[in-house]
Amino acid sequence: MSTRTHTESLTVPRRMRRRSSPNRPAWEGPPTVLGQTGKSVALILVALAVLFPLYTVVLTSVSSNATVNAAGGMVVVPGEITFSAYRQILSGGIVTRSVVVSVIITAVGTILSTVVSILAAYGLSRPNSLFHRTILFVFLITMFFGAGMIPMYLLVSGLGLIDSLWALILPGAVSAFNVLILRSFFMGINPSITEAARIDGAGDWRILWKIVLPMSGAVIAVVALFYGVGYFNSFFNAMLYINDNAKWPLQLVLRSYVLQGVTLPGSGAGQVNVETGAVTGLPVKMAIMVLALVPILLVYPFVQRHFTKGVIFGAIKG
Amino acid sequence: MTATATQTLTTSGPETPGRRSAATPRPAPGRKLSLRHRLRRDGALLLMVLPAVALLIVFAYVPMLGNVIAWLDYSPYVGIIDSVWIGWDNFARVFQNATFWHAVANTLTITAFQLVFYFPIPIILALLLNSVSTPWVRSTIQSIVYLPHFFSWVLVVTIFQQIFGGAGLLHRVLANAGFDGFDLMTNPDTFLVLITSQAVWKDAGWGIIIFLAALGTVNPEQYEAATMDGAGKWGRIWHVTLPAIRPTIILLLILRLGDALTVGFEQLILQRDAVGADAAEVLDTYVYYQGVINGDWAFAAAAGLVKGVVSLLLVLGANKLAHLFGEDGVYRKS
Amino acid sequence: MSTLGTRRAMARRTTAMIGAVGAAALVLSGCGSPDEQGTSVASSDGAIEETSLPAYVPIDAVEPDFPGVDGSPSGYLELPDPLVKGFDSPPGSGGEYTAMTPLWGTIPPTSGNQYLDAVSEAMGTTIDFQISDGNTYGDKLAAVLASPKDMPDWISIPSWNVPPRFGTGVDKLFEDLTPYLGGDAAKDYPYLANIPTDAWRACSWNGKLYGIPQPAEGNLGNWFFYRDDLLPDAELPTNADEMLEFVEQNTADGHYGTDDLWDIAQIMFAVPDKWAVGDDGKLVSKFETPEYRAALEWTATLFASGAVHPDAVAGDTSGAQQRFESGQVLVTGGGVGYYHEALTRMRATDPDFSIKLMPVFAADGGTPVLYKTPAAGICSYLKKTDDEAQVKELLTAANFMAAPFGTEEYQLLNYGVEGVHYTPGEGGVPQPTELAQTEIQPTYIFLVGAPIAIAKTTLPDYVENYTTWMAQNVEYLTEPPFFGQNITEPSQYASLGQPFEDLASDIARGRKTIDDLDKAIETWKSSGGEELRAFYQEIYDGAEQGD
Repeated sequence: MSTRTHTESLTVPRRMRRRSSPNRPAWEGPPTVLGQTGKSVALILVALAVLFPLYTVVLTSVSSNATVNAAGGMVVVPGEITFSAYRQILSGGIVTRSVVVSVIITAVGTILSTVVSILAAYGLSRPNSLFHRTILFVFLITMFFGAGMIPMYLLVSGLGLIDSLWALILPGAVSAFNVLILRSFFMGINPSITEAARIDGAGDWRILWKIVLPMSGAVIAVVALFYGVGYFNSFFNAMLYINDNAKWPLQLVLRSYVLQGVTLPGSGAGQVNVETGAVTGLPVKMAIMVLALVPILLVYPFVQRHFTKGVIFGAIKG
Repeated sequence: MTATATQTLTTSGPETPGRRSAATPRPAPGRKLSLRHRLRRDGALLLMVLPAVALLIVFAYVPMLGNVIAWLDYSPYVGIIDSVWIGWDNFARVFQNATFWHAVANTLTITAFQLVFYFPIPIILALLLNSVSTPWVRSTIQSIVYLPHFFSWVLVVTIFQQIFGGAGLLHRVLANAGFDGFDLMTNPDTFLVLITSQAVWKDAGWGIIIFLAALGTVNPEQYEAATMDGAGKWGRIWHVTLPAIRPTIILLLILRLGDALTVGFEQLILQRDAVGADAAEVLDTYVYYQGVINGDWAFAAAAGLVKGVVSLLLVLGANKLAHLFGEDGVYRKS
Repeated sequence: MSTLGTRRAMARRTTAMIGAVGAAALVLSGCGSPDEQGTSVASSDGAIEETSLPAYVPIDAVEPDFPGVDGSPSGYLELPDPLVKGFDSPPGSGGEYTAMTPLWGTIPPTSGNQYLDAVSEAMGTTIDFQISDGNTYGDKLAAVLASPKDMPDWISIPSWNVPPRFGTGVDKLFEDLTPYLGGDAAKDYPYLANIPTDAWRACSWNGKLYGIPQPAEGNLGNWFFYRDDLLPDAELPTNADEMLEFVEQNTADGHYGTDDLWDIAQIMFAVPDKWAVGDDGKLVSKFETPEYRAALEWTATLFASGAVHPDAVAGDTSGAQQRFESGQVLVTGGGVGYYHEALTRMRATDPDFSIKLMPVFAADGGTPVLYKTPAAGICSYLKKTDDEAQVKELLTAANFMAAPFGTEEYQLLNYGVEGVHYTPGEGGVPQPTELAQTEIQPTYIFLVGAPIAIAKTTLPDYVENYTTWMAQNVEYLTEPPFFGQNITEPSQYASLGQPFEDLASDIARGRKTIDDLDKAIETWKSSGGEELRAFYQEIYDGAEQGD
């Protein structure tokens, strides 16, 4: 079937036109059978590939021990449902406080990192500028050479940041990768726009603030998302630098459940962990995974808005 | 893998982006600007870069100096200052082990394979999603497909084990139908395919985000114009869509090549017993089992430095290659 | 895709992180930490003198129902009533100290915790716990020990987390306790003197007392478990071949005979854990012994028979307990501590659930040879200080924490405060309250432990079976060479054993054959094995002469 031009499709009688969604832009022409089925099949497969395991994870997390044992592992057919795993986790001593800690770190860290990265990216967006290559290399090198765990610890300790939440923010505050992303984006902005502003007398700060930023919503949202996810999911730094359990972030607390139930010889304290109907092992591990998804499920829709089709395009026409 | 978003807001039809026209006033040919002039011109930029650079110097470069232990017989109880200088001995130890070259070979094989079978997938997926016109379908799929990124590797391997393992779902279904079972998880010959599938399942959906951001900013007028010029569906993709994300792809490709020696760690350690060290040993696991596990920090530091140098060279090389194809790559000497 | 730092740095962190995921139910001997090219030799690695060890003055607060035999643990079916009061008044001097301990499980709040407050009050000393995630404890330790000014006053170090080269650093970082506890000095701390001498030996370094032990649950660490509720009248194997038959018979209908048994196979074949002594007095490496070879071949046959659960073949150790407890496998190998763990976990939902340790047997059906496992799995160390009063107060606190079964203090430490954390149930068995589940987690136990009392009163069959099993095995126990000695190896030999780990996995699963073992041994010898042998030989000969 040949592609019709958009004018032609408008004159084809309605009942003869293939069912096409009202959102379909006119220039796309009517959908083809092959196209639509092909796409649908592909998308359904993709969705299933993700949804099916997700379904088993969620189901296992609310299954009782008996159901899990009967299923021999992850549960596919629903059996006995219990929310015991979630209850156990969420009623743990320091979970609620750790959520607060995590939120604070993520919020402060994301803002700091995004702002610093935007500034750096713009500062690196003119290849002819002074020291451009040197500074670029300063960023690049950090992508290939890291520091050992012990030197990092000694540094953080030397700065007096042990047991401080800043130890969870500052060391990873700048990701050269994210800066490069932003930089690439900024460099791709049509230079005639910035040229025009410069001729009008605007300095770099003004250009950044008034022109570049408003046009960069999508990529800033993405970079902020990357940083946010990074901060929220990090636990290793907290393990290393935070001794006060009251300051632990959520991920670290949740991780401690992974090998739950390993009690020690002779300790009567191990006996107190079991209530009737409690679940251990697999349902708890799955519940932790589900809980790990909750924050991103809440945040992602907001970020997604920024790269919905057609929201931001063409700041200036002609 | 993620990519960058590059916005091309050319107002005159699809062009090859990535070619920038000068955004800065060029001096008259033959005359170089004085340092003071450039300082005045670029001062604001230098100031903007300052916070990030300061943070990097303190938290990335200062501890990086700790890598000096690669040349020392380092013990944490003796400290860096007092440890004995032993020259290149640690480096020699890294290379001398027979497993080293095997690990490197494995690493490069995996990288090459994943470059072909993993790297393009987020792009294809993004294009696929982009071409769906029904908004609710798009956002639904988008909201699902990135979730596995948040699963830990332990969970991903467990899920694969539960489905494809010797006691897994697939085996049971096949057994009921009368077919002989197979164990995908313990077969060293198909290991490459297995880990790539795992990587695709886990991260491809997350990888589309950056591409979607880029694609979402393409001016629909360009599509119209292309259609007017007679472009069909594939023509539009070739002339409008792909050019829109090309710089992104190039940047990511270069960085991925630079990262060629990193192919996963946790994922491989979890499956080491299943397929054997021969199939699963890569550079990072080699360093781990030879060095880290014994607290041999100097060994790990030496290996890390070697890896870093090679990676840097790879990036520079890939960047040059990009220049040959007319792309700007990560940076350009101009 | 990580955004903080680079992907590389994340990989590196993950590297270090995974480094500590060795914590399993198996507590294996914890020596063998690499070292610098030590100056001379074994002189500083020598075993501790008998006179430096604390005097052993056993106390029995309560008569056991199943008395221990020659060091095997005692069993109690009931909680004693009334409890013996160990201290009339809080023995401490009111000091406050920091302590770092690991934990696998729900982290309890450390402030406003009634349990911790009650113990601090009764003890007269407050311990501020810095609880660290057990999975990554090794990394945390490595970092903290590298930065002495950040070290807390008291650090727990499980044997599987002992940092490499620890022997070289221990006297710089930690207090030498020999003057405080050696010989008769220990009598100042009666409950510490109650801890068996072998446990103290396991925590000594370089001929001196450094660590305070948590005694292990018995002198044999691991063996075969089986589901005796699912196999009630089974005829249990008495040699290796019968074992193979046993698991093969039990593989049917979607369940499998067993999980991975390589570790226990080595015990069954009496493979030494590092060195054996040949007839000529020369050391033979474990890998060179015929026992090791036989164990490998047996394991390969086991895997080839199809009796091993595919997930175990795929190396999934984390699901092993699940598989066993759900009945998917009927036999498993595990640490002896797993016995009560499993019962506690499963009985709540399935009162008929039962497992048992198989009676011990030798591979050839003859007299079993069982190598003793270290008498202490966890040691804690006091930070080096000039403040003698601090050391004494901490030792007094340790004395309190080591109060044995049958004392009020033991009850407090293990169950909390009556009425707040538990209510007395029938037979005096404490019924934990909800508060107990959040507040009471293993903390003090990581610093020091009383001699093990098998007193899970809710599991009477366990008490009887376990103690009897332990007692029966005493006659087969023998000390391996270098038992109880913490020897620091030169660092260049640290990774010599690694290829054998992978090789064992490969041979078991049929990817390689036993001929590859010979090749590996040759490689081992030529890349440092002989030097390592010489190193240990010197220590061994020196010790022999000293007798």
